[in-house]
Amino acid sequence: MYVGQAILRREDERFLRGRGHYVEDITLDEPIAHAAFVRSPHAHAAVTRVDTARAVGMPGVLAVLTGADWTAAGYGEAEGVWPVKDMSGADARTVNRPFICTDGVVRCVGEIVAMVVAEDRHQAQDAAEAIAVDYEEKPANTITARALDPDTPLVHPAHGTNEVLVTEHGLKEETEAALARAHHVTEVVVPTNRVTAASIEPRCYMGHHDTVNDRYTVWTTNQAPHIVRRYFTKSLGIPEHKLRVIAPDVGGGFGMKLYHYPEEPLVLWGAIVSRRPVRWVGTRSECLLGDTHARDHHTVGRMAFDEEGRILGVKFETLGAFGAYESQWNASITNAYHFTMLSLAYDIPAIHTTVRGVYTNATPVDAYRGAGRPETIYQVERLIENGAHEMGIDPLELRARNLIPAEKFPYQTAIGIIYDSGDPPALMEKARALCDYDALRAEQAALRAEGRWMGIGMVAFFDMAGAGPVKMMNDLGAKIGCYDVASVRVHPDGRITVFAGSHSHGQGHETTWSQIAADRLGCDIDHIDLVEGDTDRVPMGIGTWGSRSLSTAGMAVYTAADRVVAKAKRMAAHMLECAAEDLDLADGEFTVKGTDRKLSFAEVANASYHSGDRPADLEIGLEETSFFDPADCTYPSAVHVCVVLVDPETCAVTLRDYWAVDDVGTVINPMVLHGQVHGGLVQGIGQALMEECAYDPESGQYLAGTFMDYAIPHAEDVPSFGLDSHFTRALGNPLGAKGAGESGTIGAPGCVANGVIDALWHLGVRQITQPMTPKKIWRAIEDAGRAQQ
Amino acid sequence: MTTPRTVELVVNGERRAADAEPRTLLSDFLREGLGLTGTHVGCEHGVCGACTVLVDGQSVRSCLMLAVQAEGSEVRTIEGLGGADDMHPLQEAFWEKHGLQCGFCTPGMLMTAVELLESTPGAGMDEIREAISSNLCRCTGYQTIVEAVQAAAERMQGEGQ
Ligand code: FES
Ligand code: FES
Repeated sequence: MYVGQAILRREDERFLRGRGHYVEDITLDEPIAHAAFVRSPHAHAAVTRVDTARAVGMPGVLAVLTGADWTAAGYGEAEGVWPVKDMSGADARTVNRPFICTDGVVRCVGEIVAMVVAEDRHQAQDAAEAIAVDYEEKPANTITARALDPDTPLVHPAHGTNEVLVTEHGLKEETEAALARAHHVTEVVVPTNRVTAASIEPRCYMGHHDTVNDRYTVWTTNQAPHIVRRYFTKSLGIPEHKLRVIAPDVGGGFGMKLYHYPEEPLVLWGAIVSRRPVRWVGTRSECLLGDTHARDHHTVGRMAFDEEGRILGVKFETLGAFGAYESQWNASITNAYHFTMLSLAYDIPAIHTTVRGVYTNATPVDAYRGAGRPETIYQVERLIENGAHEMGIDPLELRARNLIPAEKFPYQTAIGIIYDSGDPPALMEKARALCDYDALRAEQAALRAEGRWMGIGMVAFFDMAGAGPVKMMNDLGAKIGCYDVASVRVHPDGRITVFAGSHSHGQGHETTWSQIAADRLGCDIDHIDLVEGDTDRVPMGIGTWGSRSLSTAGMAVYTAADRVVAKAKRMAAHMLECAAEDLDLADGEFTVKGTDRKLSFAEVANASYHSGDRPADLEIGLEETSFFDPADCTYPSAVHVCVVLVDPETCAVTLRDYWAVDDVGTVINPMVLHGQVHGGLVQGIGQALMEECAYDPESGQYLAGTFMDYAIPHAEDVPSFGLDSHFTRALGNPLGAKGAGESGTIGAPGCVANGVIDALWHLGVRQITQPMTPKKIWRAIEDAGRAQQ
Repeated sequence: MTTPRTVELVVNGERRAADAEPRTLLSDFLREGLGLTGTHVGCEHGVCGACTVLVDGQSVRSCLMLAVQAEGSEVRTIEGLGGADDMHPLQEAFWEKHGLQCGFCTPGMLMTAVELLESTPGAGMDEIREAISSNLCRCTGYQTIVEAVQAAAERMQGEGQ
């Protein structure tokens, strides 16, 4: 069995030797031209003149294009993949993110106004700088919390409001009643900070038009190449059979590389116009500004408790950022991926949430690792933490009293989602033992007596992973089918190519998909190759996002492999003159049970293609495809505990320890799993302590345009992690696997925040917004001190 | 400013020459001029470390150095780290400890670690964490990278004895 083994990754050698093949590394027979963009320096402005005259004649310039050219060419706009209707039933007030400014108004810093294509990058940049654009500045707002205030400038005046849509979910009356009769009510204002994925590889696109065959090719740093092909039917109007999308090695995605960013259709347009392949490589500043941002929910939460600290109900009111425009998936984040998960790992009888999506003059928001769930978990857990302190109940004890007991699974939350399997109390007990909780509390008390501030943070939650089934996700708003696809092609020599509709950009599918296939096919893992990320080679795919690939594409590999085995057994049975049921397949051989009569897998494969002697109703060939629609989402769960030290002198936070106990169902490769958890945790820790896509509130200027200004964690900022697990099988897929890609990221912001609050509670500190920088912590302590005087 | 001139240097033990404009960065020269695309560019402003190479034995951000400044130098990049049939102990250890995911930061991490272990063979956990803090990785959470460098340090010391 390969499944369950920490098999070393089969993709690693090329990366370790510097032979990875990223979009920026690709060479073609023709010289590749480069694109550069003119971007709005203002948060909101009328564009009164775009003068390209000087740029056109500059050295090396092949094309200069503006919004007027785009309109003249008759091209289209982006389309929401996951639109959500307003609760009134009306369509949301959707304004899609433009590819290039066509209506004379720019609504956030960085919006593209013009493009230059030139022989090399420097010539393109020089010419872009020679384009003269006149702007008339308009008032702007970049702050989500202010979006609906009466005097806030409107991003899209035609709509008469900055509100995109309002949705409500849950049990309104029951929740109000719970708050009314509660022994104790905790209220916290819990905004989540605006962050961005900041993959180390910048976004990069290359377009090519083959005029002889009238076909187009796009190389893209994207996580879902078949969805990119779909986007192009709307943007440039290219039919799907005319476009090949290739997403080769991609240097991290985290959800952010899922969208039809402006530069993607623009480089192909540039290639069509200039009759040359055209590439754009994002500078770090263009990426920190133009990559979708994430989170930025402004939420007020209230939680009702009884005398024993049992949660009676929870109510949320949220302003969810869209930014200046709607990015393709964002409506799902404030909705499908928010309200569904509000119960976390707790048995909460009444939940109600209202979300108002809002426009501001800021970069569009979309999914980034966790999408909706980091916000939700952070918000609910901040209420629980404060509630425990206010009621004088140990925070772990209060949580333990509220966990969903194992015998209640499958458990329907008050919001209507059914968690198929889990055992939160077991996770909590393992976490308690792993961190030696009682000893930590004793240490905290001892340190506090010396004037040193130590805090213990924790969270307990579920995730909704593995987007699918198709119907459920359609009902939640998805316009794309949430299934995935794999073909298993057995070649006549018995070697195997697996084609999968998922995309690996760090997840290690070449290893894990091969582990699954090798077990099902009874073959050596080295006899399998994987192809992903090419729409001309892979039949179809929905891509890798939302911790979904294992339970959709991985299951498609599993299912297609089983179909191959079923067919091969019929051929082998014919050749061995026995019944197919009498055959065993192992170690590359079909054996008649209880005998030594056997045929190699390769012999059967060869006969499948080349022998006329076969069952009359058995088709030639040995290749099967599965479009796998899972029976359910998967619901991984976890408990995290951390220890923080806050320096009383500098207010700097040291994250000393972090433990995570996960339930991700069946594990394919524990090494890969741990890597996913580690990386996710550090991204969540970054959100908690240092990351922020900051805007100047007055001018709307973006302040986080370099890696000096946008702080992502370094090795020294994080500890080594203590991991444990307690697995319950997922019921929605035969592997029993649950998604594991986001668990770390979604739990860590709340866990670290609770640790800091726990460290400072005795000083009167009740809430600090993230990122919890020394300055904010110092101010919170000062404010609390003044309030207590 | 834009008239190209020929830059000659030794890369991974081989004498190489190619044209470069005075403004061409060493990172672009390696990638485009010499076709050594293993050196990656993540920020082009000296923070991420993805572009790290060794110039005359010292780690350098090749995005902060001009190609013409490397004239006559000895440059080591990721492509020269392993042999045709074997890999450097650091490469092996990164593989075994799962010190990489998307692989984009990996060349820079490895070259940074090469410098550390060549200058401080007995580096401990804290020194390793400090040394690789010059480079950003968004995938791994760093723990497995630290473990990999430590494993390589032990192996290299063992071999040296
Ligand atoms: S690319 Fe040179 S430090 Fe980031
Ligand atoms: S492995 Fe992806 S950035 Fe380090």
